[in-house]
Amino acid sequence: MGINPVLLKELKVRMRGWRAAGIIALYLLVLTAVAVFIIYTVFTDPYTSSIDPQVSIGAYTGLAIIQFILIMFIVPALTAGAISGEREKQTLDLVLCTKLRPISIITGKLFASTSQTLLLIIASFPIFSMVFLFGGISIKEITQLFGFYMVTAVTIGSIGIFFSTHLKRTTASTVLTYGTLAFLAFGTIFIGVFYIRIFYQWDYEKFLPLLYSNPLAGFSSLLAEQFGYYGGINSFLGLSAGLGRNSNAVKAISPWLGNIIFDAVLSAVLLALSAARINPVRKGIFGFLRSGRRRKKASGN
Amino acid sequence: MLAIRNLNKRYGRFQAVSDLNLDISEGEIFGFVGPNGAGKTTTMKIICGLLRATSGEITLDGTDIIQNSKSIKEKIGYMPDFFGVYDDLKVSEYLEFYASIYNIKGQERKRITDDLLELVDLNSKREAYVDSLSRGMKQRLCLARSLVHNPRLLVLDEPASGMDPRARFEMKEILKNLKGMGKTIIISSHILSELAELCTSIGIIDQGRMVISGSNAEIMQQVYNKKVVKLKVTARLDDAVLILKEYPFVDKLVIGENTIQAGFKGGDGEMSRVLSGLISRGIPVVSFAQMDGNLEDVFMKVTRGEEEQWA
Repeated sequence: MGINPVLLKELKVRMRGWRAAGIIALYLLVLTAVAVFIIYTVFTDPYTSSIDPQVSIGAYTGLAIIQFILIMFIVPALTAGAISGEREKQTLDLVLCTKLRPISIITGKLFASTSQTLLLIIASFPIFSMVFLFGGISIKEITQLFGFYMVTAVTIGSIGIFFSTHLKRTTASTVLTYGTLAFLAFGTIFIGVFYIRIFYQWDYEKFLPLLYSNPLAGFSSLLAEQFGYYGGINSFLGLSAGLGRNSNAVKAISPWLGNIIFDAVLSAVLLALSAARINPVRKGIFGFLRSGRRRKKASGN
Repeated sequence: MLAIRNLNKRYGRFQAVSDLNLDISEGEIFGFVGPNGAGKTTTMKIICGLLRATSGEITLDGTDIIQNSKSIKEKIGYMPDFFGVYDDLKVSEYLEFYASIYNIKGQERKRITDDLLELVDLNSKREAYVDSLSRGMKQRLCLARSLVHNPRLLVLDEPASGMDPRARFEMKEILKNLKGMGKTIIISSHILSELAELCTSIGIIDQGRMVISGSNAEIMQQVYNKKVVKLKVTARLDDAVLILKEYPFVDKLVIGENTIQAGFKGGDGEMSRVLSGLISRGIPVVSFAQMDGNLEDVFMKVTRGEEEQWA
């Protein structure tokens, strides 16, 4: 079994021309600017020692957040046109009439965009390695963080591909992908707050499972778990405080782990639905029922 | 080789294909003709596994196409009427991508790419970006793409549509080559004259129904219930016309400058009697041959509401 031909072709096409290099350059430029800003702020602060590990934790969390936000913005742009773009260019039928299975087309597209994201993450290693200069950060934390990035990128990619297969236009698919992300990131918090404020349900643990679907909650809980629940950037969006303290749910499973499990399930479901959608001879649930009835009738005769 | 039985395709209330039956033998070039919206593309897409039939059965070498779509797709090459290309891919990479889908690797992939580019006369463009090719070249490249896995059955949907006369001629030459290679081909067009000289048999579809199908001669026979003979004389054209009118099985005569087209209701025996009659009475006949007939007339006749006569 060789490498997925769609993945190979996509990588070749995506890396051609100035666009890929431009994205990497812009991405690194943003990260570098953030890193320089953090270091400059810390070094010019008369109350901070230049060899304080807090410096590296601050730089690490700052860079981690910026990278996470960049991934949330870039991945939908890379995937929301994956299938709808093929439809618009009238190239989809040419692939579907080959022996390639629909799921191979879907995964080829997903892994191509995920690979591009992975490339961005790898390209950011030198900037991240700066935090090691000050101590306080281990390889384990960086690995956890980058693993979390990849899971999030695959999930966002799956959402993009799902809309791309179900909608004809790339524009509509892109809007809905960003919309879904906004709902997961902010809508779920809003529902929680609504639940607490309107119904005066102060036992907010009940809505914590909802936050397992929230990538921001998962991300902030990962940072909080790595460096403790209090102080600095760890109270990012105020989520880690809520997730971290006095929560039985959190004791059972870390929110970021819950988020990874949720992401894995969601990605699998969305990819399966996407593959079914582009299968031109799919039966659909009603088709299965009809053919089942027909078989029953035939065996009865 | 390919058998279609009672094929139906319905989109809501619209019946795109209705009880279509068709048999195509190995090595046959089948011309699928019909006006726009007749159901040609729908039928072809169903054959290639790009659409699900509402009912009916299609078998290729006895194997059900729908139940065994993956293995069947290795035997079918499809060229759609409208298609796009990838912007950032070179001509050779384009073919190599499709070859890789069929697990064709290394030197074999390179050899197949070279052979196909030679066949469609795009060798000089192998390093050009696909997007930069002219329409005719893209059509030829798409044809090469459909051949990359050496399919036994080629399904070509309007392969020459939108081409200029030169590109149309080149495409026809390539198709003749494929015919020589023994490929079984289904080719659609709404222009019958395009297919008449290329195809071994023709099917005319209208409003989703196969109105008539068979070899050119069989279709002429079915439609006109007669043969058409064209004869050429060097002199005494009027005498030849008078002699022809003496035979009861000769009906309509179309008279040219020194040619006559005569409709025959009889068989070869009657044709032979007429020829010897003309020669014995001193008519200087230089040629006497059965015509394939004007299929355009047939097409117009059978697609203007007279199908009940032929169905």
